Amino acid sequence: MAEKLILLVEDNPDDEELTMRALRKAKIANEIAVARDGAEALDFVFARGIHAGRDVTRQPAVILLDLNLPKLGGHEVLRELRADPRTQLIPVVVLTSSSEDEDKLRSYKSGANSYVRKPVEFNSFANAVGQLGMYWMLLNETPPR
Amino acid sequence: MRFLFQGTLLQKLLGVVLLSALAALLLAMGAMLAYDLRQYRESGFADLATQAELLGRASAPALTFDDVRDAQESVELLRYRPRVQAAALYNARGKRIASYARDPAATFPTLPESDGFRVEGDSVVGFKRIVDDREIIGTVYLRADYGLHDRLLGYLGIGAVVIFASLLAAYVLSRPLQRALTRPLLAITEVAIEVTEKRNFALRAEKLSNDEIGRLAEAFNTMLAEIGRATRELEASNRDLGREVSERGRAEEEIRRLNAELESRVKERTSQLEYTNAELEAFCYTVSHDLRGPLRAIDGFSQALIDDVGDALPAETKPYLTRIRAATQRMGQLIEDLLNLSRVSRGELQRADVDVSEMARQVAADLQLREPERQVEVKVWDSMRADADARLLRAALENLVGNAWKFTGKAARAEIEIGEMRGELRRVFFVRDNGAGFDMAYAGKLFAAFQRLHSGNDYPGTGIGLATVQRIVQRHGGRVWADSKPGRGAVFYFSLEPAEPAAKFGT
Repeated sequence: MAEKLILLVEDNPDDEELTMRALRKAKIANEIAVARDGAEALDFVFARGIHAGRDVTRQPAVILLDLNLPKLGGHEVLRELRADPRTQLIPVVVLTSSSEDEDKLRSYKSGANSYVRKPVEFNSFANAVGQLGMYWMLLNETPPR
Repeated sequence: MRFLFQGTLLQKLLGVVLLSALAALLLAMGAMLAYDLRQYRESGFADLATQAELLGRASAPALTFDDVRDAQESVELLRYRPRVQAAALYNARGKRIASYARDPAATFPTLPESDGFRVEGDSVVGFKRIVDDREIIGTVYLRADYGLHDRLLGYLGIGAVVIFASLLAAYVLSRPLQRALTRPLLAITEVAIEVTEKRNFALRAEKLSNDEIGRLAEAFNTMLAEIGRATRELEASNRDLGREVSERGRAEEEIRRLNAELESRVKERTSQLEYTNAELEAFCYTVSHDLRGPLRAIDGFSQALIDDVGDALPAETKPYLTRIRAATQRMGQLIEDLLNLSRVSRGELQRADVDVSEMARQVAADLQLREPERQVEVKVWDSMRADADARLLRAALENLVGNAWKFTGKAARAEIEIGEMRGELRRVFFVRDNGAGFDMAYAGKLFAAFQRLHSGNDYPGTGIGLATVQRIVQRHGGRVWADSKPGRGAVFYFSLEPAEPAAKFGT
């Protein structure tokens, strides 16, 4: 069984770096793919565009999805993922700065598996990301193919 | 008499005149006839009595001596009196000794009767005693024509002629009278018809006489003048009414126009407000996302520096990184509080029955969970309820109880009480603590955003909590106020409904 893959959809390089650092600190050694906008995220999972030729059978075990993204927003990405039979079962964790009820509602309605706020305080942030990594990489069973 | 109630006035007048004349004539003629017939009868009787007396005197010798021939001659003389139909002489013993009759078939009474005359059919019959020297020597019998029938016929003929002539005269004479009566009446009638048809109340009936009809014309004219005046007044008042109605119509039109204008202005303002609200929401979203990102980076990379190279930094420089992190975290909290403030201002107010006691206990329990080391005696009254938006009320309680929690941090025995006062007009909830309190001189600044009455070193905070509470309470139509003394604790009161229920709008 191949190593589990994490897809991080994040446009902010600072947040990307901090997330990577938090995962490293939590000793998560899995491969982490990064998409810098919504369109790239979809290209990745459907192996097209700049990700054409990627091994499409190797899908992420979890997608960490920011909501405020250039080109295609997080909500749209989530909807497209859930609309396609190839990706509709991939676990998606919304990882965002937003604490708006509206965002939470829309995310869950669109089929998010979890909603986690990015705290400003780094230790809390690192703690949250570390726990997410542990949970989705070690505890959670991916849906069968 | 029915004709008196039909036909024209002229016919009626004529009828009355002729009837009156006829009645007068008939009465007069009847009286004359009665008088004349009585006279005629009396004179007829007297005439016959005289005739019998004369015959008796002339026949007295013959009767005394029973001379039948002489007696017969005396009786025969009566043939020169054509009125006399028959006559006879009876002697003292009652025996008829002589007789005369115009009609040979006439019969005579066998015995004489007592003196006197009477009418028998169309004749007058009577007997007369012949007295000589106080001795009855015989009786005369006479029968004569009465002539009443002829006389009556004559009278009727004359009467008919007289009545006809009189009625004719009455008729002819009454014509001008009738005309004099009816002409003024007709004149009034014509004026009345013209007034009705042309609605010209200026017309007047001509007064043609000084009698009752003249007075009628005067009264009619007075009435016309009165009607004319009343009509003019009515028309004037109608015109006034019409003007008023049209003015009212214009006013209503104006009101409708103003209403429409107001409505469009309200619509415009509403859309402006909606636009502003949308902008505000977009702004808050941006703040929530984009302002926190850089803060997280500053905080995160400061921590990374501490982790990676912290030990290599000079001892006096290393705390700077910690300070940077503390500052970014305060900034993060500020953004959080601002977002909360804006969040309680947005969205629909959803009122429902809320168990305030239960909610207050949960809020206190959360605070205890966050700071397990704190020893605070929290007293919450039982069965407090409110008609409020549960999410907003919870936010208000979190702020108020949270403040009480925070400001009792240095109290020897921290006490917090959450209760209510039920007034006649509205119910007022309160949160009381025995904490630091504040100077009432600054009470006016309590509920303004970013206003703090304590230094951040003593009691950390952003100064947005009470502004949020006020916003929540105001959205419910209520009021929030406080009472305190420095070092003696504070009481915050709030209501969730207007003092006057009628002043409740929309929410």
